[in-house]
Amino acid sequence: MKLRDAQSDTEVPWVERETLVEATPEEVWEALTDEDRLEEWMAPEVELDPVEGGEIAVRDGEDHRTGTIETFEESERFAFTWSRPGEGESFVEFTIEALPGGSRVTVVETPIGPSAIAFGAWTSRLARLHRSLSFTLVA
Amino acid sequence: MRAPAHRHVDSVFIALADPTRRRVVETLARGGTVTASGLASQLPMTRQAVAKHLSALRGADLVSMSRVGRETHYKLRPQPLDEAAHWIQMVSAEWDDRLEALRRSLAKRGSRAQ
Repeated sequence: MKLRDAQSDTEVPWVERETLVEATPEEVWEALTDEDRLEEWMAPEVELDPVEGGEIAVRDGEDHRTGTIETFEESERFAFTWSRPGEGESFVEFTIEALPGGSRVTVVETPIGPSAIAFGAWTSRLARLHRSLSFTLVA
Repeated sequence: MRAPAHRHVDSVFIALADPTRRRVVETLARGGTVTASGLASQLPMTRQAVAKHLSALRGADLVSMSRVGRETHYKLRPQPLDEAAHWIQMVSAEWDDRLEALRRSLAKRGSRAQ
């Protein structure tokens, strides 16, 4: 996903990470959306109703999050919201892109909620600002 | 540690929605404690415009104010920014770990298939 500029600030994710894997998009899709496969890498306990509108529950010891699947486009895009009890929700989206000999997997996570419009805009700016402020923040 | 970013950062982002205010924040970050006039001299805007932006930033708790004689001094309070930045750093690190685990899980499958 490209970072957009001021016009569509709300679409800029707060967190965006990616990895390259030696696997086809179909293999990646299975690892992202099959409960047993998710438990190999995501968290020790994952429950997933693999349809749009289905529920997702992720538990890692005391850390428990639940949410709803927003997008379920086979071998391409998998998105859900999740939150811990009493905390704000985030939107998480995986995108799978075929590459020669493998795939690129990108994940974004952005807080949503009452302030969704204001949220989302500042990941890159904040990160930059944070760096420029680091001398103050460390103190 | 995650909750504060969700609950309190809203006003910070609204305050920083204005690019001019972000410049005011950056200038404050460099300048330590300054007056509105001092800030205006470093920015392409009037003292009145600076005062308006400082007021909005105070509303988001990003700027503190103190009286020194006849002057009003302003200082950046970076804590609200720190909460949001902390969330970003923490969640980025979590996804780096998970994606690495995903990569390993896929590699294991791949080598078994061969």
